[in-house]
Order: sequence, then C-alpha cells, then structure tokens
Amino acid sequence: MIWPFDGDRGGVLALFVATLALHAVFASYVVAGTAYVLARKNAIADEVRTRLPFMLGCGITAGVAPLLFVQLLHQKRFYTANLLLGPRWLAVVPALIAGFYGLYLAKSSERWRRIALVASLACFAFVAWSWSELHELMSADPEWAAIYGAGERFYADAQLAPRLVVLAGAMATQFAAVAAWSTTERRGLAAIAVAGRGVSLLGALWLWHAGFAVDGPARGWLYLLGGAAAIDTAAWLVVPRRDRALHVATGAGAAALLAAVVVREAPRVALIEPDHGPSGGVLAFAIALVLGAAAIAWVIRAIAPSPPR
Amino acid sequence: MVPHYPVNDFGPLMKGMVIGGVGIVHVFLAQFAIGGGMLLWYFERLAQRGPGRSMAAEQPDARKLVDGLFQVLVLVSFVLGALTGVAIWFTTIQVGARTIGLMLDEFHWLWATEWVCFSVEVVAGYAFVRCGPRLADRARSRLLALYAIASWLSLFFINGILSWQLTPGTPPGEGRVWAGFFNASFWPSLLYRTCVAMALAALAACIVINTMNLDRERRAALIRRASRFAAPIAVMPLLALWYLAVIPEDSRSWLLGGSMPMLMFVGIAAAASLLVGLYAIVALLVRRLYINGATATLLVALAFGATAAGEFVREGARKPYTVRGALYSTSIAPGEVAGLRASGATADDPYPLRDAARYPTAQLQRGAKVFRTLCDACHTMRGANALVELSRSWTDDQLRLNIAKLQHTKSFMPPFAGNADDVEAIAQLLEWEQANAPRSWPEHPTPPQIARWLDEAGVK
Repeated sequence: MIWPFDGDRGGVLALFVATLALHAVFASYVVAGTAYVLARKNAIADEVRTRLPFMLGCGITAGVAPLLFVQLLHQKRFYTANLLLGPRWLAVVPALIAGFYGLYLAKSSERWRRIALVASLACFAFVAWSWSELHELMSADPEWAAIYGAGERFYADAQLAPRLVVLAGAMATQFAAVAAWSTTERRGLAAIAVAGRGVSLLGALWLWHAGFAVDGPARGWLYLLGGAAAIDTAAWLVVPRRDRALHVATGAGAAALLAAVVVREAPRVALIEPDHGPSGGVLAFAIALVLGAAAIAWVIRAIAPSPPR
Repeated sequence: MVPHYPVNDFGPLMKGMVIGGVGIVHVFLAQFAIGGGMLLWYFERLAQRGPGRSMAAEQPDARKLVDGLFQVLVLVSFVLGALTGVAIWFTTIQVGARTIGLMLDEFHWLWATEWVCFSVEVVAGYAFVRCGPRLADRARSRLLALYAIASWLSLFFINGILSWQLTPGTPPGEGRVWAGFFNASFWPSLLYRTCVAMALAALAACIVINTMNLDRERRAALIRRASRFAAPIAVMPLLALWYLAVIPEDSRSWLLGGSMPMLMFVGIAAAASLLVGLYAIVALLVRRLYINGATATLLVALAFGATAAGEFVREGARKPYTVRGALYSTSIAPGEVAGLRASGATADDPYPLRDAARYPTAQLQRGAKVFRTLCDACHTMRGANALVELSRSWTDDQLRLNIAKLQHTKSFMPPFAGNADDVEAIAQLLEWEQANAPRSWPEHPTPPQIARWLDEAGVK
C-alpha cells in the first residue's frame, strides 16, 4: 500500500480522503455555482440555479462522512478545535440553513433571486472560512491553552488566507468540470476552469511562502497534483474546440482533487491517533456501501430518460 | 490520564438544554421524514392500483398528494432535518466530547453504514421530487420504496447506537459491537419510533391535504386513507411498557416517581401521546370524522410536545451516566475516579480560567476549575439548574458533606471525582457566589473530616 495509506489507520484515512473529495465536488459546485449565477444570466446559469439546492443537499450529505472519519483519525484535535471556536463554530449550522433556503428562494423567485444568492454566497463563504480555520487550529496544539484563556473565538494564522485562495480557485475549476457535462456551450466554463487553476497556483505559492511544506513521501502526491493540474489546464484549453477533451479534463481534474486532498492532509498524517480499540461492523458497512452505490446508480439510471423540470 | 477538553460557558443555559433543543427538533423532523416515506409509498400504490372501484375517484388526488407532500418533506426535512443532524454532532461535542468519542469508537462502522442509508435516502428523495411527476408508475413506486426503506434503515442503525447508551449490555471497547447494538432496549425503542414516525406522517399529511385545491368530499377521502397510517399509535402504550421493563431498575424507578421532574415529563409525554392517539383512533379511524388544517396542526404541535418530553426522559434516564457503566455525565469513567481522588480533579487540566481575575483567592480559582470540570456539564452557577440556588439553604458542613458524598446525596449524581481540597474549593466558591461575589474572601483550610467523608462515600 502506498503512503499515507500504509499505516494502521490507512483504511479510515482512505475513506476520509475519498469522501472529502466527493464532498468537495458538490461543495465546489454550490459555492462557485452560486457566484456564477450571480454574475451571469444565460442558459447555463438558469440550469445551475435549479440544481443548486439539490447539489447542496448532496454536499451536506457527502460532508457527513469525512466528518465521521476525521473524528476517528484526529478525535482529540477535532473536538478541541470545535470547543475552542465554541458558539462561533456552531454558527456554521444556521449559516448553512440560511444558505440552503436562500438557494430555494433564488430558484423559485425572480424578484428575490439576487439578494438570496448574495446572502447564500456569504453564508457559504463563512462556512468555508470556518472549516479552514478549524483545520488550522487542529494542528496548533501549543497555542490551545493560551487561545482558551484569552477567550479568542477566531484563529487566523499565516496559512489561512492563502488556503482560502487555493480553495476558491479549485472550486471554480471543479464547478466548471461538473457544469460542462450538461451543456455544449463550454467556452465560458473553460475560461473559468483555467482561471481557477491560475488562482489556485498563486494561492499555492502564497501558501508555500507562508510555511506550508510537504516532505518525504508526500512529495510524490505533490508531483501528481502538479502533473494532473497541468494536464487538466491543457485539456480545458482544448475543450471549446474538442468535446473529447472534457473527458481528459475531468479525469485529470479528479486525479488533481484526490492528490490535493492527500497533500492537504500530509502535514498531519504523523498526528493521526492510534486505533482506540477493537470495533466491529466493518462487513456491514462494506455490504451497505456496495448496495448503496448500486441503489444510487439505479436511481440515476431510472431518472435519466426523464428530462428534469 | 483523563483527557481534558476546553469547556464553554453557555450563560444561563444548561448545556443539556442546548443539545436538547437541537436534538428534539432533529428527532421530530427525522421521524416525520421516515414516516413520510412510508406514507407516500402507500399513497403511490393506492394511486396506481386502488383497492377496487371505491378508490377510482381518489387516484388522481392520491397522486397529487404524493407530489405535494414530497415537496414539503424535502423543503422541511431534508434541509432542517439534515442540518440539525449535523448540529447535534457539534452540540454534543460542546456538551460531552468524550461521550461522542466513545460512541464513535464503538460504532463507527455502523455509523458509516447509517450514512450510506442516509445518502441513498437523499438521492432517492431528490430524484423523486425533481423527476417524479415525469416518471412511469413503476419507477415512481420503486423510487418511493427505496426512499422509505433507506430512511427506515437509517433509523434502524442510529436507534441501536442511541439505545446502547442506556442499556449497553456489554462494556465498550471489547469489539462486541453487535451485542451492544442489539441491546435490551433496541427493539422496543425501534418499534416505538417507527409508530411515532407513521403517526407524525399521517398528521402532516392531513395538514397538506387541507391545503390542496379539492372539494371537501375528496379531501375527506384522502384524510380517511392517511388516518389509517396513524393506527399503529394504538400499540405505543404497550411498546412504552416494554421499554420501561427492559431499562435498568434504578432508571425505571426514577422515571416512575423517584424524581418528580422526570415523572412530570413522563406524564407530559404520555398525556400528549394519549390525546393524539385518542383523536386519531376514535375521531379519525372509528368515527371517520373530517379533520381541518388547524386541528391537524394542533395535533402535530402536541406530537412535538410528546417527542420533546420523551427525548428528555430518554436522556434523563441515563443519569448519572452518559453511557451507562462506562462514562459519567462529567465525562469521567468510573475507573478514573480513584485516581482523581488522589491527584485532584484539575491537576492535569491544561486550560486556564478565562476570568481568573474575578476570583479574589487561589482557592476560589481552584473552585472555579473544579466547577468547570465536574459540574458544568449539567449545572450552571446562576442560570438553569443553578448550583447557587440548589445549595443556598445548606449549612457549611452540610455543603461539604453533600459534595463529598455526592452519589449518596442524590442517586442520579456521580461520585465526586476530586480530593478533599477540591471539595473545600467548590464549597467556598458556592458560598462566595451566594454572598454575591465580594471582592475579598478568606482562604479556608480544608477540614479534615472531608477526607473521611470521601473515603466513606467510596468511588462507585
């Protein structure tokens, strides 16, 4: 098994990485899609607008799994960071509820469309910022006692802002990759995808300057990320002229996403907690996963011939 | 070493109220979603086949109800229901991080299985609401069946984990996950919740039917059909008795009179359920009366009250544990108490006080840390379940004695997990708070009898 999935908790880490990547696909569609619908008025924007609540539902559902697995890998760190941010962290839930209903309002009302989208985007930006903040705080154990004593509810280290820039760029590219499959007018989306990669690259340089480092076996994943992102960008440049390039862009984009999640986790792989003891039920989960995937595939097939409302 | 986590103060709100508020809303909405899936599947089958000629006229209306009610289900349950589920996780961390950690350590694969079921439920649900009206009958029926089965399985798995907290059967950490999952209260709890889910769905359907643009006769026909779905409410008293029979004896005696507040909540849950049940069975099923939107809404509100009281009872029955026999409500394991009696409750606590300057002596600061570690999970200083008020009439020695022998003072309290100096520190803190926190306060030496009282009380 390759690093970092070769340790005792490799299976859980693999599930965490896979489900976080899945969550990122939906979350990216929602955040960048909301911004797109705000900025553009065209057929793609109309289509995206009707899909946003569904995609947010999928994003939240997909997000539950990495939330579960991170508690197995970094239980103490995750709980401590939750508690340090306290009520401010809990605010992500009402923010998501407000954002969710905002998307429904934007879908159903022309009159309230713009204000609902702005409000939803603000809510999602707050959630993205809070998650990045929590991620940073989880690894800042030497500072925990001082943060608690001072009653701080915000944590901003040098890596937070560049991390958000990387995220914003990646979300734009990911959104373009999903949206492009339901349209033939892909020129604008290709421009967004390429620009997104550019923003991510600038953010990554900033992040590196701020102290983010990847060493040892994690470098292989960094090279994979760089290579996949380069192929993805090159494919996007061809997408407006050749439909088949979208397959390449999607494949390379998926590889880049998975590699990016591993690179994101790399600095804290050494911090993963040992197994807390024997537990059963893995077979039930494996069976449920296979049956669940089959059921979802059947649903997609069942509704495919039916054009969406 | 006992793991210490930062502790947040929610002002006058007892922490249980924070998680209770979120949890009750979530449970109510989740049960509505589960029952709703079953009810809509039932109506879809009626719409497609119809039992004989009498149903023929109702078929288009049944189809209309399915499409209309599913919109409500998605708008209310998928959004608020799903997100309050996430909120429960976050609030539980705020109240008892070790408890949720222990549950995850024990059941993470079954929790992940529940997530798979929930994912199928969400995909099937959204697929139906988006494409249902354009799908062929067979696909509609199958999609609804998938939704109903997945949502009930989601209840199946989460019910095993939650019921384990009160009746774990086997100690956690031994890898006997199925023995813990199918614990003594698993089946009565699962069947009871299933009946509640069906009744809730029937009542919610009655509200939606009243908003449909149909004449009264056609609405009445739909209401009669929906009412049948509330019939399982009749067996709920038997299931409640079954549940009471299998829970630990001390919990049962506490619910049935040992604790007045708990008895009151049992009474509220029973009375509200009885009222809903009587109306559903006598008025709707037997006399086949019409129910208007306002009455149906009132019954749903009553059902919410019953759910709230029932969840309070379920949570309260576990005291002094959060996981019976494994973890006290203070997030301290029974096996750790003896060590804390020797070292002190806060010796390893790395977190400073946020308001240390407020306390005039080191002893009061220690008392504040003891309060934070041992009391804050269930009590506030001056708000809900306030320690200042609970102990106001006690004499100095009575206060020390009651704290030192805590598990004997009240049977639903855990043993005091600190040493004699900790007892004196928290006693002084309470007296200082009762005196309205004066600027100066003398340091008090720890009376020697406290150590004796602690020894007499034991660590269990």
